Amino acid sequence: MVTSSRTPLRTDRLRAVNEPQPVTVDLDESGLMTVGRSDGRTVGKVEAILESWRIDDEWWRRTIARNYMEVILEGGKRMVLFQDLLTGQWFAQMP
Amino acid sequence: MWIPLFPLRCEEARHEGLAAYPTALLAPDTTRKLWQISPLARHAGVKPGMTVSQAIGLCPTLRLIEPDPVHYDERFAHLLSALNEVSPVVEPGDLGLVYVGCDGLEGIYGGPEKVVEAIRRTSHAARVGLGLGKFTAWVAASRSKPGEAVIVQRGTEAKFLAAQPISALPLDADTHRRLRQLGIRTLGALAALPEEAVTAQFGAMGRRLWRLAAGRIAEPVAGRSAPEPIVAALTFFAPVGERELLAHALDQLIARALKHPRRIGWRVHAVRLRADLEGSSSWLAAILLRDPTADAGRIAAPLKTRLEQSPPTGAVERLVLEFTAFAPGTSELQLFARDAQAAARAGQQRALQSAAREIRMRVKRSPLYHIVEVQPWSRLPERRYALIDYEP
Repeated sequence: MVTSSRTPLRTDRLRAVNEPQPVTVDLDESGLMTVGRSDGRTVGKVEAILESWRIDDEWWRRTIARNYMEVILEGGKRMVLFQDLLTGQWFAQMP
Repeated sequence: MWIPLFPLRCEEARHEGLAAYPTALLAPDTTRKLWQISPLARHAGVKPGMTVSQAIGLCPTLRLIEPDPVHYDERFAHLLSALNEVSPVVEPGDLGLVYVGCDGLEGIYGGPEKVVEAIRRTSHAARVGLGLGKFTAWVAASRSKPGEAVIVQRGTEAKFLAAQPISALPLDADTHRRLRQLGIRTLGALAALPEEAVTAQFGAMGRRLWRLAAGRIAEPVAGRSAPEPIVAALTFFAPVGERELLAHALDQLIARALKHPRRIGWRVHAVRLRADLEGSSSWLAAILLRDPTADAGRIAAPLKTRLEQSPPTGAVERLVLEFTAFAPGTSELQLFARDAQAAARAGQQRALQSAAREIRMRVKRSPLYHIVEVQPWSRLPERRYALIDYEP
């Protein structure tokens, strides 16, 4: 992490890091998942699910409920996906 | 003389308009916590030691500043130099706190008010206290308003101190709590107790506190006099006219003068380079370094420029270098400079700042961002960190 600057850091100019990126997840007839980008291009087929976990948070404000899974795509690429359980939408995010 | 929140004041001085906003300085050792808080931020509930996210939660318009210890040290060194013009006896305390020996100054300036006026002219934001001994003077300064002074007349120290809160004493939190539990809220209340009883209860430290509260201790200001000029000279076998040779000789003289034992602990502020020329004429360059330094290159640079721009009019028989004025070395200054690691960190920050400025000049915009921790404990990854424009 870079620290420096001494210039006043204006909190109104904070930008989020690691925001969830929308992706598509399709299931074929045999139940295998295929991950695609929002522009329609395919990222890859899911070969294995390494781990899955659920996050429920901020029920007092605007409920957040996510089902995360760490997957391995064809070719060995590792990826973290989650499904927003309130909207059903899929996202990719760094863990 | 006391300038509370000195680092924050330094930042306000170099960022115009900053004083109008709630501001917080990040801690020098960890950028996750706040160190110094402006009064506006304090009013919004922000406190030193809070994490960035806690502070932003309380005060969304808060402006965060990363610390620049080297800059604060430089500003403090300038302040000490300015005070040295008023009195030869100057003792630095914590950053922003300076004790000035005033004995004999009344003969130069006039009464105590005139002495205080001369001290106040060195900094408009300073609070000044005049009294017998460092503790009385410090308490007086802490009771004055910015840009004003409190003068404790001789013989009235005990009366003045009696009305002050015990927080004026150099207490640890535990002793402060114990004194308050005993119902002691002022220095007068503490001084009213028998000295032996306070010593029995609080040990040697209690005795010292009692004596301070009673005005029995008047510690003098322990200043130190600047060293005599340091001279290094070189006589050439044959008169020299080549500038390269002169520049080389200058480097040797600077290195020799810097090694002089009297220079240790001092940074060079003023330099003179004299040349005895063939035919009984001479040449002189006198340089006042804007930032006092002990770095050979920074001392040599302005002298070499002078050698280039207005060289000696004849061949040089003898070259003499003099360090004529000094500023206290960083080693005796502040908590930051005493910490070599912090000083190194500050140096790295400066290098980074310079590189960022160059990138911005080349690409006409700043593609650099700075990562700050917002809620590092959050279960939601996007809440943990945030980016902010890196603007040196």
